[in-house]
Amino acid sequence: MAHEKINECVVFTNLYYSVGDNTWVRVNDDDTVTIGMTDVAQSLAGPILHAKAKKVGVARKKGRPIATVESGKWVGPVKSPVTGEIVAVNEILVGDAQVVNRSPYNDGWIVKMKPENMEGDLAELLTGDAAVEAYRAKIENDGVTCTHIEGTDEYLI
Amino acid sequence: MDDHEGKKILVIQTHGVDTPTRTYSPLYYAVAAAAMEMEVMVWFTMNGTNQLKKGEAEKVELVKGSGVTLKSMLEMAMDNEVELRVCQQSLTLWDMTPDDLIDGVGILGATSIIDLALDYDHVMYF
Repeated sequence: MAHEKINECVVFTNLYYSVGDNTWVRVNDDDTVTIGMTDVAQSLAGPILHAKAKKVGVARKKGRPIATVESGKWVGPVKSPVTGEIVAVNEILVGDAQVVNRSPYNDGWIVKMKPENMEGDLAELLTGDAAVEAYRAKIENDGVTCTHIEGTDEYLI
Repeated sequence: MDDHEGKKILVIQTHGVDTPTRTYSPLYYAVAAAAMEMEVMVWFTMNGTNQLKKGEAEKVELVKGSGVTLKSMLEMAMDNEVELRVCQQSLTLWDMTPDDLIDGVGILGATSIIDLALDYDHVMYF
C-alpha cells in the first residue's frame, strides 16, 4: 500500500483521517469501517499500558470516545471519526495493548463501526494527498518525530 | 463491567509541589474519568493549592527525563474538560491571591465543597 513517511511517521494514502483527533478509518466491503490510532498518535502516547474499547452495540456520535487509552505519561479518549454503532472490538487489546504501538494500522485497530451516513462522514475526513499534506503540516508544526518500539511492523520502521 | 458514562466524580487533591510524587495520580485519574465520558472536577485544597500558582507546576517533572511536568498534567486535564477549582480559604495558606492562579482555575468557598461532595456520584480524596 502506498504510504508517505514524514519525520518517521507513516501516513497511508488509502485511509481516511481525522487529523485533529489522530484517528484513521478503513472502509470495509460490508458497509463497516475499521478505526484505529495513527502512527503519530501512538508515538505521542508512548508505550501503551491499557486500551479499553467501548462494547459492541454501543452507538457513538462522531467525536465521542470509542475507547480510552493509557500510557505511562498520557491518558485520553480515542474519538470516533464517524457516527454509528460499534460492531466489533479488537480483543487483542485486552491482553496486549502495545499492539497499538507495534501495528497501529493493522493488528492494533481499535473498533469496527457501522456508520449511519458513511458518505457524509467520509466527506469530512481527509484522504490521499490531502491527508499527507495535512499531516506534514501538523507534524512539522508540532515538532513530532515518530518512534517505534521493538517488534513494530516492518513498513513503519 | 458497567458503563459509567455520565457519572460525576469529584477528586479532592490536598498534595502539592512539596510532594511531587503525590500530585500525578489524582490528575491522571481525573483525565481517565473524563476520557470515559464522566463529568469530573478536581478540587485543590490545603497543600494542593500551591501547584496552581503561576510558575510552580512547570518546575515539577514527574519522572526525570520524561518531559512530563505537573503543568502538562494540569493542561491535559483542562484539555479534557476536567474542571479545576481551588478552595478560597486555602489561597491564604500560601499567601496567594486570585491573580496568582494559572488560567482556567475557578475559586469556590468551603460551603461549595460540601454541596459538591453531596451532589457528585463519587468522591476520591487524596
